[in-house]
Amino acid sequence: MTDRSAASGPFGDNAADLGLTVAILAPRGRDAAVAAAVLDKAGIASVTAASIPALAALIRSSIGVALATEESLIAPDEGLLQQALAEQPSWSDVPFIVLTNGTARHRSDRARARIDALQNGVLLSRPLHAEELVRAVRSALKARARQYDARDQMHELQMREAQLHDSEAKFHAIADSINQMIWSTRPDGFHDYYNHRWYEFTGVPDGSTDGEAWADMFHPDDQDRTWARWRESLANGQPYEIEYRLRHRSGEYRWVLGRAQPVRDAKGRITRWYGSCTDINRIKVAEEQQQLMLGEMNHRVKNSMAMVHSIVSQTLRQADSLENARASIQSRIGIMAQAHDRLVEATWTETAITEVVEAALKPHSISTGRFVIEGAAIPIGSKQALALTMALHELATNAAKYGALLNDTGQVLVEWHRDDTTTPPGFFLRWTERGGPTVRSPGRQGFGSRMIEQALAGYFDGVAELNYDPDGLRFELTAPLSGLSQQE
Amino acid sequence: MSQPRRAVLVVEDDVLIRMEAVDMIEDAGFRTYQAKSADAALTTLNGASDIGILFTDVDMPGSMNGLVLAAHVAVTWPDIRIIVASGILGVGDGDLPDGACFFPKPYPTDQIIRALHRMIGQDLS
Repeated sequence: MTDRSAASGPFGDNAADLGLTVAILAPRGRDAAVAAAVLDKAGIASVTAASIPALAALIRSSIGVALATEESLIAPDEGLLQQALAEQPSWSDVPFIVLTNGTARHRSDRARARIDALQNGVLLSRPLHAEELVRAVRSALKARARQYDARDQMHELQMREAQLHDSEAKFHAIADSINQMIWSTRPDGFHDYYNHRWYEFTGVPDGSTDGEAWADMFHPDDQDRTWARWRESLANGQPYEIEYRLRHRSGEYRWVLGRAQPVRDAKGRITRWYGSCTDINRIKVAEEQQQLMLGEMNHRVKNSMAMVHSIVSQTLRQADSLENARASIQSRIGIMAQAHDRLVEATWTETAITEVVEAALKPHSISTGRFVIEGAAIPIGSKQALALTMALHELATNAAKYGALLNDTGQVLVEWHRDDTTTPPGFFLRWTERGGPTVRSPGRQGFGSRMIEQALAGYFDGVAELNYDPDGLRFELTAPLSGLSQQE
Repeated sequence: MSQPRRAVLVVEDDVLIRMEAVDMIEDAGFRTYQAKSADAALTTLNGASDIGILFTDVDMPGSMNGLVLAAHVAVTWPDIRIIVASGILGVGDGDLPDGACFFPKPYPTDQIIRALHRMIGQDLS
């Protein structure tokens, strides 16, 4: 008996029952009963078909062997039998044993054709001995059992194929669901698989990067390096890992992290390489920006150091006493530090001149109403903001020591505007003191006045003038508007 | 009568730092010229005959930086001695013309003044 489960299913529910049973078609006389008795004695199960349609039905149910008398096959409905045989599955070739009358010499063409139509028929001439019949039937059953084995093996193969297909479908479903590019190669490194994400990222047609064509997708400057690394991994079987630029469908190159691992068989031989590409462009770009930022910071810090150095040495050079020099240095470096704080808040790029003026004068506006500030919020670059802060600090310090802020009534007017009547457009800033003591010109130029006149004019690419009007000190800066934000 | 080449041309784009360099060099007894870019420096060099030393920054706006300026001056005015001062790292002897000096920023005042005297002193004899 064949395995029940294997024999059932697509092959018919009764297959297991009749799989090795002999179906007997011998409607005349006691022929069928005799044959059944002989087979039963030999331990062979049989079933009797009363007619051709009955035998055809048994064949459809998959029987072991058909045993028929030659005359029983001559009937109007003999075509049913051929039809049932034609419907058999490909592995099935039902053995027929036909009990004939007389010898082949006397057989008509019609009779011969009928037997041929059975496909797998052997003839036994009657009369015959019981043993001959049993041997013929056993031999046929044995052949039939072989067919069942073949069927089972085929079934097994189909099952495996289906499983493989299932697992491949699962792999594809997983590989295509993740946001990473996945690829795979033969042991020699020949690429033969990429997931959807790869094609989505690169925008190239399916299959166009198979083999070694993938390398063309890499940035020309990265190709030698990645090839060398990949060859190294192929040669020594070590995992592959490298960062490179991959051409995106937009045409731009993006940084990716490429990785691959070999898969080995039981003997340790590499059977495949599985690899991935992870888009790390954002991280890389952030790293580059960080480097740029660090470079810029370094530059600015160096610059600040040099400015502090300059302030300290100039203050010391012109100071009348160490005490005064110390106070000046402290206040100048203090205002510089404060200006830097504001620039950091404004992300080191541009800020509005309004904020710069207000911040610079804040420490000096002890009582309200001493300053009148008039001007629009024009953008100003970081260097200019720093210089303006320091110049205003010097002016206010001077006003507190000798000018309008010395008494309780003096006032300072700070005004500025852009001048569109000139080409290119200009910028004008004026500091005017009123109500202070009579102004006298200082004997020599200290750091403060140099900062106000020379340095500020330099940073703004303009002209600055201090006017020691006896009624009140006046300072004027005229510059091109572009000078407010020009970079060094 | 041509003047002796005793003046120093200070090339520096930052006004405050240029002021300091000018103070330092004038305190040491030299006349100075000032320029805020390499292009302005070339204009000054073409117009003045008494410049004996080019004292230049490296990182400056304009068509050339201080190193390019130094190389150009070394070829065009071989009598002019060159001092390069910069806050940027990685300036090597290979970047400078033969005989030029390099100093970091902030300025090491004493060393720079000694170099100025040494350079001009050779031309004075």
